[in-house]
Amino acid sequence: MAPHGLEPHAHDENPLDTDFGIQPMLVNMGPSHPATHGTVRLKVALHGENIQDCDVEIGFLHRGFQKSCENVTWAQCLPYTDRLNYVSPMMNNFGFLSAVEKLAGIEIPERAKYIRVIGAELHRIHDHLVATAATAMEIGGLTVFLYAVEARELIMERVTELTGARLTTSYGRIGGLNRDIPDGWKDKVLRTLDCVRSAANEIDGLLTRNRIFMDRTVGTGYLSPEDALDFGFTGPCLRACGIGLDIRKARPYWAYPELDFEVPIFHACDNFDRYRIRMEEMFQSDRLIRQALEKLPGGPVLIDDWRFALPPQETVLSSIEGAIAHFKLIMEGAQIPAGEVYHATESSNGELGWYLRSDGSGRPYKVHIRAPGFQILSALSKMVKGKLLSDLIPTFDTINMIGGEVEQ
Amino acid sequence: MRRLRITVAFATIFASLFGGMAAAYALGGWLESTWFKGASALSNLLMLMLVFVMVFATLLVMAERKWSALMQNRTGPNRARINLPGLRSRSLAGLPYLIADTVKMLAKESFTPKAANRFFYALAPILAFGPVFTLFAVIPAGPTIPVLGHEVAMVVANPNFGLLYIFALASLAVFGAALAGWASNNKFSLLGAIRACAQMISYEIALGLSLVGLMMAFASIQLAGPAGIMEQQSQYLWSAQLGGFDVGIPAWGILLQPVGFLLFFAAAFAETKRPPFDMTECESEIIGYFVEYSGMRFGMFMIAEFVEIIVFSGIITTLFLGGYHLPFGGEWFAKLAFFKEHPWVYGATMGMVFWLKVVVVTYIQMNIRWTFVRFRYDQIQKLGWKILIPLGIVNIFVTGALLLWDKNSLGLLGLIGLFEMAFILILMLSSPKSSLYKPLKAEPLPSHH
Repeated sequence: MAPHGLEPHAHDENPLDTDFGIQPMLVNMGPSHPATHGTVRLKVALHGENIQDCDVEIGFLHRGFQKSCENVTWAQCLPYTDRLNYVSPMMNNFGFLSAVEKLAGIEIPERAKYIRVIGAELHRIHDHLVATAATAMEIGGLTVFLYAVEARELIMERVTELTGARLTTSYGRIGGLNRDIPDGWKDKVLRTLDCVRSAANEIDGLLTRNRIFMDRTVGTGYLSPEDALDFGFTGPCLRACGIGLDIRKARPYWAYPELDFEVPIFHACDNFDRYRIRMEEMFQSDRLIRQALEKLPGGPVLIDDWRFALPPQETVLSSIEGAIAHFKLIMEGAQIPAGEVYHATESSNGELGWYLRSDGSGRPYKVHIRAPGFQILSALSKMVKGKLLSDLIPTFDTINMIGGEVEQ
Repeated sequence: MRRLRITVAFATIFASLFGGMAAAYALGGWLESTWFKGASALSNLLMLMLVFVMVFATLLVMAERKWSALMQNRTGPNRARINLPGLRSRSLAGLPYLIADTVKMLAKESFTPKAANRFFYALAPILAFGPVFTLFAVIPAGPTIPVLGHEVAMVVANPNFGLLYIFALASLAVFGAALAGWASNNKFSLLGAIRACAQMISYEIALGLSLVGLMMAFASIQLAGPAGIMEQQSQYLWSAQLGGFDVGIPAWGILLQPVGFLLFFAAAFAETKRPPFDMTECESEIIGYFVEYSGMRFGMFMIAEFVEIIVFSGIITTLFLGGYHLPFGGEWFAKLAFFKEHPWVYGATMGMVFWLKVVVVTYIQMNIRWTFVRFRYDQIQKLGWKILIPLGIVNIFVTGALLLWDKNSLGLLGLIGLFEMAFILILMLSSPKSSLYKPLKAEPLPSHH
């Protein structure tokens, strides 16, 4: 980004081509800027309105997640995972638990698998709604934003009924779930889905065929499929580049193999297709939740293995074995067998991978997450270089960078 | 109960508009009879510009919040309360916010950045506010009627170059934005200022071209007065008499020049720098040319924006929507014996009609503002130079040809205008409602096995 040619070249042949040593204007967007939600700093070098260079600087939201996990038991890591992708915390919860269960070789009950799908898909809709809403708001459509927020609020209420919290869900336990779905929740979810769908239709009507919105998004923020693969794109951003990788299909987990859904793919690799893919995925998630609620099997939601899962309360209070199991699980943590594992789930922004290493004690030896947003954010600079400053805004929004998971 | 409240609210609006206009006429007549001939211009300056436009602009701050809330399924502002008996628990439709806003603006520190150019920094808000405010001087808000034996015209000034006055002053508004951005010595505001300059200067041309057809049709650039554009719109293109009551298609600008209307509307919208043309502001991108301003200096920019909306609504009403004239029955109405005896009632009623039209146009502007997303910097230029200006030129040629063809009346122009409107309407209705792609609508659940 060095300013080139401060001295005018006196001997240029054509005087019109004389280089007057124009320096780029450095503009600091963020960390506190209305468009850089998620606290990221974009150092933009502008030539007029054109972006010559864009340097993405992260780290403002670093919380030491990985190190913190090493100091607590496996179960106590769970609340930390809430804060990774704070728009879809349940996906983080379940992703982490699945990785731990894979390491310990636990098969969770059928009912828990279905409820995990329901929770994850609810949060996928939630995440996509927020991403779409933010995109619209940043380019001036505050009405769209508020429609989406209204629908999102309904999902928030369902999530609260299910988990007891709006954001810090900490839902699920090693070997299943900490609680079953509440009474009457199923019908409420179905009604919520109807409302969300009508809101999504409103948003679709306001944006998808909107000439101005199309002008702003079609062809902007382009990244070729090859580059997308090189950068390590996953999730909606990769599927907007015509590559249909979805871990729910590629390496099915939980109850996904038993449910019918499609993986939408678009080919234009631009902001518009990233927006469209989110709209389509909301619809697919809607289908998934409806199917899962219909097929929801009975039975327990937690395994009956006291080495990993807490015994029922009456057992703890009335039997010595239960009390000991409870004590050991709380004080020492679940003894996950030594070894290492990589497990990935399809989170709302792509492959949420967990690399876990256990030394056989009750605490993780190492927890590393592969957050999908990190790889995608690293390509932002390439996506906007040479484009207009105004293109940076929708591009930054459609890649849906979430500060919590990128900076951990 | 709800119906009653709505009725009362509307009655209050009508009554206050009527009362305001009646007061304007009365004051004008009184000044004419006690001071000197032509003194009513001073009273109009006071009543129309300082009272009507400013009160409208102030109320619009509130109306924008309420109307946007209406569109966005929200209640809108209702938290500010007045702590007086009987009013304590009432939101009063959000009106206390006007007081709260004013107090906030006045009480806030008016901050000047260290590196700013102090003189231009202080001058910019005034330059932004002044020109748009003075625009209203040539807009007639009511008919000329005798009050206390003197003719009172409801217009501050009626120069025979009325439209040129509007163009000249409207283009001055760019100085405010440009100076504000430059003098703040902030990169974001500088970007905003450059965008403002480029946008406003390019849309000046479209603004001017869109009205040439109208000038040719009415053979005048004067607004008020018997030969003015406004007065000529009281005639009919085709009319019939139904027992003394006249009905017909009026020669309103929008019917003669639908394309000109659309172009002017778009260009005027761009001049107000409101979404979708708010490239200069872009709060999520460059935050705007007034990013460094606070307190009442920022308030000046804000109120200038709202005054501009009102003024442009007034201009659109005057040029295209027949000003204070009724679409039909105008002649019958003017001939009523009651109005002959009390001309001030007639004047105030017509003034009320004018302001109601202004409110409707303002409401349309608000709807557009809260529906669309914003353009990009280059797309706005493309729209201005590649679409609006060529269309404006084509419109001039078509209008000229039609006027030459049919030299004696505006009939042919009106006929083609109606066709154009029908065409635009069909175009709008034929556009796909939902996405071309896979529709996001409910599918039957697949049967499971």
